Amino acid sequence: MQKKICMLGGFAVGKTSLVRRFVQSIFSDTYLTTVGVKIDKKSVALPDKTVDLILWDLAGEDDIGSFRVSYVRGATGLVLVIDGTRAATLAVALTLRERAEAEFGAMPFVLLFNKSDLTDRWAISDSEINELRQRGWQIYLTSALSGENVDDAFRQLASMVTE
Amino acid sequence: METLRQLLVGREISELSRVSDLLDEPEQLAAAVGGVLPSAAARAPHAQLGEALAPAVERAVQRSIQKSPRTLTDILYPVFLPAIRKSIGEKIDQTFQSLNETLRHIFTWHGLKWRFESWRTGASFSEVVLKHSLVYRVEHVFLINRNSGLLIAHVTAENATSEDPQLISSMLSAIQDFVKDSFNEKEQSGLDTIRFGELRLWSEVGPFATLVAVIRGNPPEELHEIVRDVLFRIHDEYSQALEQFDGDSSQLIGVETQLQTCVELKQEDSNQGFPWLVTAAVLLILIAAGGWFFLSWQSGQRWQAYVSRLATQPGIIVAEQKVSDGQFYIAGLRDPLSADPQSLLSGTEVDPARVHSQWQFYQSLEPEFVLKRLTASLAPPDTVRLSIVDDRIVAEGEAPDTWIDRARSAARQLSAGGPEFDISKVRDVSPEARAAEHWQAYVSRLETQPGIIVAEQRIRDGQFYIAGLRDPLAADPQALLSGTEVDPARVHSQWQFYQSLEPEFVLKRLTASLYPPDTVRLSIVDDRIVAEGEAPDTWIDRARAAARQLSAGGPEFDISKVRDVSPEARAAEHWQHYVSRLEAQPGIIVAQQAARGGHFYISGLRDPLAADPQALLSGTEVDPARVHSQWQFYQSLDPKFVVKRLTASLTPPKSVRLSIVQGRIVVVGEAPAAWINRAQAAAEQLSEDGVVLDVSQLSELSLPELNRLREAIQATDIFFNSGKVVPGPEQTPVLDRLADQIKEFAQSARKSGITARFMLTGHSDGTGRETANASISAARAETVRALLNKRGVAPELLLVRGAGTFEPVVPENSQTGSSTNRRVSITVNLD
Ligand SMILES: Nc1nc2c(ncn2[C@@H]2O[C@H](COP(=O)(O)OP(=O)(O)OP(=O)(O)O)[C@@H](O)[C@H]2O)c(=O)[nH]1
Ligand SMILES: [Mg+2]
Repeated sequence: MQKKICMLGGFAVGKTSLVRRFVQSIFSDTYLTTVGVKIDKKSVALPDKTVDLILWDLAGEDDIGSFRVSYVRGATGLVLVIDGTRAATLAVALTLRERAEAEFGAMPFVLLFNKSDLTDRWAISDSEINELRQRGWQIYLTSALSGENVDDAFRQLASMVTE
Repeated sequence: METLRQLLVGREISELSRVSDLLDEPEQLAAAVGGVLPSAAARAPHAQLGEALAPAVERAVQRSIQKSPRTLTDILYPVFLPAIRKSIGEKIDQTFQSLNETLRHIFTWHGLKWRFESWRTGASFSEVVLKHSLVYRVEHVFLINRNSGLLIAHVTAENATSEDPQLISSMLSAIQDFVKDSFNEKEQSGLDTIRFGELRLWSEVGPFATLVAVIRGNPPEELHEIVRDVLFRIHDEYSQALEQFDGDSSQLIGVETQLQTCVELKQEDSNQGFPWLVTAAVLLILIAAGGWFFLSWQSGQRWQAYVSRLATQPGIIVAEQKVSDGQFYIAGLRDPLSADPQSLLSGTEVDPARVHSQWQFYQSLEPEFVLKRLTASLAPPDTVRLSIVDDRIVAEGEAPDTWIDRARSAARQLSAGGPEFDISKVRDVSPEARAAEHWQAYVSRLETQPGIIVAEQRIRDGQFYIAGLRDPLAADPQALLSGTEVDPARVHSQWQFYQSLEPEFVLKRLTASLYPPDTVRLSIVDDRIVAEGEAPDTWIDRARAAARQLSAGGPEFDISKVRDVSPEARAAEHWQHYVSRLEAQPGIIVAQQAARGGHFYISGLRDPLAADPQALLSGTEVDPARVHSQWQFYQSLDPKFVVKRLTASLTPPKSVRLSIVQGRIVVVGEAPAAWINRAQAAAEQLSEDGVVLDVSQLSELSLPELNRLREAIQATDIFFNSGKVVPGPEQTPVLDRLADQIKEFAQSARKSGITARFMLTGHSDGTGRETANASISAARAETVRALLNKRGVAPELLLVRGAGTFEPVVPENSQTGSSTNRRVSITVNLD
């Protein structure tokens, strides 16, 4: 069983880093922006089956106009990534999701507030996060650096898309 | 009962009747069913509904096509067109590929081998070529979900490897997306070929899945068709599973067997056992045929070289050539003027005996041939040059009109299809025309001559007539004829004399009639005649009369610049010149002057230092004998003179400079105090006369070196014994030293521009008579002067005086009084 998953989020929020952490368990703090799309694969063993996640890591766009929505075609789930040190990236992630859903219909997603290790620069209030949780969304505070919650988030999405 | 029934089921009865009405009335029934049909159809099981509707739909389509095929064609057109286009494209590619490969191998060794094979198997040569040259192997086949890019199935050929096929499949579709997005490609198909070195990725796009074949090598174009066929079959069989694919390929297991058929596709270089027998037989034949084949091949090559040489010859057109049974046939057209094909054979080693040629003459329209023919037929004169310029034939030069006519008609004949013959650059020079040309040149030359007016001219019957006016002073028309190539015998001229009013003629006439003196120059300025210089008044009068006569219509004669030079006037002029020269002299003030009765009188003041008025007379042409002057001396206060006088009287040292600054005399520099005092005195005196002598910038000469020496000199005394005027021998070293010091001092002072003088003062003691003492003191000073002189001190620097007893150093009555007072003392003066 394979599923196409798209990583969506603003520029430099850590999409590529999260995929690397999840797939290869490594992290690097050098920043190489993604051009176009980068594809990775990871098998996730769920209690009843194994699913191959085909992860499409899209170039982050703060400018929604240049977002190539066609890459999302055929995706069954989204990973929305927000940089917890930059409050503005939340709006970017949500707009990208709206754009994708407008084109291809609603699909399951997880919302990751990344860079949770950078506590001193954290820019999102707990109340804000709680309010989003109220909507029934799956929300994780992740760190590609420490690996915190990364596996859980992807596993959660894997189980959501195989339901 | 009825009532009861009415009561119990009355509503149902009326409902029933409404329903039965509904069923009976087709109109109403249709309306009712129409209302529920769409949702009914949607709810029905797909398969059953499809089966139920299929016959009806098929019939409907059939009807529609019978009725109007157009409608359906229009509907399906967008679906078919890309497919048709693609299929045609592939057919063309296929043809090219076959042609390409055939050409590539036609002359190679395996080309020969394949010819043999094609002869043996009966297949066409190009088929055989393609079979061998298109070596390829399909290594992988991917079936990819069109929507998500997820891999549906993947098959690999034996021992071919690849990365994770799932990743590859996603990436391929990402690339497709990228290309479509980037180039805004609307077409269904997308990328269908990607080439990467030896590898080719061919993709075939179906409605739900894309089939990508990874091929190593050089596949034939037909492979597309095979691959497409497989894809089509898969869609046919699994259309539902493909459409609903959500990442779970368990429904599509069977697809792999279909894909397998693709992977088995390959064309490998046959490595079958070497066909020894056939090869031996062929070898034998080849050896036998080899010699013959080589020879004929070689002569064929030579023949080809010859033919291509012919083809490049201008004026030769090879229409046909062939080689058959060792004989060479050639046919074509040739211009009679072109190179002879037969003679071109020599040196080609083609056996002329085996050449059969058939040439037909034609007239080549290539410019060089046309040029040759024109040259032959027109025989252009030496003065005409024919050349080819940009494919046109251009004639240039001069020719008689008869030739030009012939050339023109030749040009007309040429016009059809041939090069243009341009004779516009040939000038007509028939003898008549030439003579007329010469005549015109002569006439225009005459017309530009001053003093000649051509009234009329004409050519008739080879004779030239000209009439007009000419000034007797103008150039002779007859003489102008020479060198014009106009035959004088044929020229008939009629000239009337007239007086030209052109300035230069008027000038000539004036010069002849007025005889201007050498001091007068006549010239033409802006069409006016201008006389300049000096002349006696008699001449000026004559000139004025002439000017008046001229006035009507002629140029103006301007004599205003001629000065009257009667001897009297000239002398007066010279005198005035002399006077003004005197007046400009500094230190000379002219009070009065007059010229009377041929004599000149002048009086005034002059500074003795000013220039001598008498001397200034020379060179003025004023007769000195007729000059009577009366000068009184005065001291000019002109600073220049004051400076001169001061320099003479004060003799300033070299270190001082006198200059005049804005009418003031400024003295700058260093001077001895004595000189400064004198200068100050002079300044005071001068200020009374209103002359400023500024001595404020004078400073006292400061010469520390000299001062010390001076001190030493002045401290020296030469002592004498009582009654003696010659110092004792013990004074010799004192004198020696003194002499040296004086010389040194004088020399240093001179360097600074100062003259130093040394005053030797003799003294005596108080004993004896005063007169005797006075003379003895003077004598002592004189002696010292002589002694110093002897030691090399210039005598003019030494001044002597006798002071007698009047300037004793010590009181006479003291112990050492007398002996100390008998001495000569020295003081240094500077000025
Ligand atoms: N401290 C910290 N840094 C992170 C974390 N995740 C990513 N980074 C850093 O953030 C920068 C951007 O990370 P990327 O993963 O390249 O971001 P991206 O979203 O893929 O960026 P684009 O491809 O340009 O859209 C890099 O320098 C990462 O090292 C994290 O969890 N903690
Ligand atoms: Mg990235």
